[in-house]
Amino acid sequence: MPHTDSTPVLRADGLTKRYGRRPALTDCHLDIPRGRVIGLVGPNGAGKSTLLQLACGLITPTSGTLEVLGSRPATNATQLARVAFVAQDTPVYAALTVADHLRMGARLNPSWDAGLATRRIGQIGLDPRQKAGRLSGGQRAQLALTLAVAKRPELLIFDEPAAALDPLARDGFLHNLMAFVAELGASALLSSHLLADVERVCDHLIVLAGSRVQVAGDVRDLLASHHRLVAPGGGPDRLPAGVEVDRLPAGIEVDRLPAGIEVIRVEQTDRGHSLVVRSDGPRPAGPWSVESLRLEELVLSYLSRAADVSAAGSRTMAGEAAR
Amino acid sequence: MIWMSWRQFRTQAVVGAVALTALAIYLVILGMQIRHSYDAAPALCQSLGDGCTAPMNEFTQRYSTRLYLLDGLLIAVPGIVGTFWGAPLVTRELEAGTHRLAWNQSLTRRRWLAVKLLVVGVAGMAATGLFSLLLTWAASPYDQVAADRFTTLLFGTRNLAPVGYAAFAVVLGAILGLTIRRTVPAMALTVVVFAVAQIVMPMLVRPHLRPPVSVTQPMTAETVRNLSSMKADATVRGVQIPNAWVVSHGELLDSNGGPVEPTRYHECVLLGPDAVPECLASLDLHVVGSYHPADRYWSFQWLESAIFLALGGLLTGFGLWRIQGRFR
Repeated sequence: MPHTDSTPVLRADGLTKRYGRRPALTDCHLDIPRGRVIGLVGPNGAGKSTLLQLACGLITPTSGTLEVLGSRPATNATQLARVAFVAQDTPVYAALTVADHLRMGARLNPSWDAGLATRRIGQIGLDPRQKAGRLSGGQRAQLALTLAVAKRPELLIFDEPAAALDPLARDGFLHNLMAFVAELGASALLSSHLLADVERVCDHLIVLAGSRVQVAGDVRDLLASHHRLVAPGGGPDRLPAGVEVDRLPAGIEVDRLPAGIEVIRVEQTDRGHSLVVRSDGPRPAGPWSVESLRLEELVLSYLSRAADVSAAGSRTMAGEAAR
Repeated sequence: MIWMSWRQFRTQAVVGAVALTALAIYLVILGMQIRHSYDAAPALCQSLGDGCTAPMNEFTQRYSTRLYLLDGLLIAVPGIVGTFWGAPLVTRELEAGTHRLAWNQSLTRRRWLAVKLLVVGVAGMAATGLFSLLLTWAASPYDQVAADRFTTLLFGTRNLAPVGYAAFAVVLGAILGLTIRRTVPAMALTVVVFAVAQIVMPMLVRPHLRPPVSVTQPMTAETVRNLSSMKADATVRGVQIPNAWVVSHGELLDSNGGPVEPTRYHECVLLGPDAVPECLASLDLHVVGSYHPADRYWSFQWLESAIFLALGGLLTGFGLWRIQGRFR
């Protein structure tokens, strides 16, 4: 299996991409092991597409380095054969038939799996003689997926794979995607602004906002290391570290938090005040109740923190979370 | 990638092939007609008995318009090929977003571009070359009579030169497309740049491809008859040497090498068109000029083709560098 190789599927070091003066991706550090289905989430304009296009070599970094499967992206035919990319609008040649596309795949990819391609086209129910320009959005996405998978890559990259599809087509697409990843033993990297999709298929997560990586890690580890601390009732405010005084929840004195706990987000709920914190050690014990977080809450905490930071315009806390 | 380039090019190739076939049939018929008239001319000359000028003039006049139009078409064909085959070669992919599909197959962008340029470039060269070959064949009796194959229009529409133009035009279109990234502006600019090249080459470059030979041309009655203009200051234009290319020549000189006496020159000129040639010939005048001899024709054809092929090669090199850049 390819993922027994220990080179990381994605390693970024100070990766930065600017378009003119506008930063699209800033000082990004990543080290992601193989065999993961990696979800890339964040609001529109966060830099998701930029990171994916850097990973498949459509664009090159302004500074910093990015290695995909141990090499710089798209430098040679061998590297191109190891990575498959499906762009956001799932481009296909409108004038060519489905069969032409498979023939193209066979001729341009030495590792082409014709059996797999033909079988998948049959399963999706595409007519090989049909022109690709006359396929529905869902069918086109499936064709693009088939082309990407049948070259048997070690890494599949999808930019918003299901964004343009109706719920039924999206369900089928994601189902196929997961089946492929399992069949190939490949890694996959996909971006989405639909958290539900990511939650369903991904076991590794990168949260991107304001051109920076907010947090990255295996979903299980992230869930285990993030907690919500809830303190009901009132109490004296105490000076926090990195949190505005007037927003410190009653009952939680941040200077009394154990070492190694990072406050991600302060929230006011109808039950009282709560903190979303990250603690890589054991559950932080104290005069508060500790609750588990759902993945969605976790992501939203990071995203709203990033939004606050960019609104405040001065502090650059976001970078600290990007290990 | 050869298959893929061909598959994407197929429709355009079929359209081109149909047009070329129709043209080829016409050229074969025209060539046969020209040969028929040409072969009939000597008999006509004998029956008239006063040399061959009149029948030959009639022969050239009968075909000049048709050949002129065909020359015009052939000079435009490389431009058409560059505009409709070359310019959309890359822009069509960029506009449809399919470059992101193509560039994620297991071949580098450079190879992708090189093979596309090769397939369409060779097709363009073959189509233009076939047209040129047929026109050269069809017009060869006419060209022999006219004896002016170094003129701008004829030089660029016979033998090898059009093939070089076609190679250059296809690459020019494709690389402009790669740089501008939009089809219509790329097509428009291809037309403009190719037209400029077609003007600059014969006007400014071709005369200097090899150093011209100096010549002293006596002004016989025959030479004077073929002049295109005679000016008041005793300079003339249009001194011709059969099949050779006169690049430049100066004012009329007398037998001592000094300028012709203005009064004697004007006396002759004022005699009226029919008497001028004999009158000027009796003055024993000559002009000093420079020209390219007839036997340089093929070296000029090869040089010109090589120059345009080299320009195409340079543009290809630029394109292969350019395509590594940023494309979203």
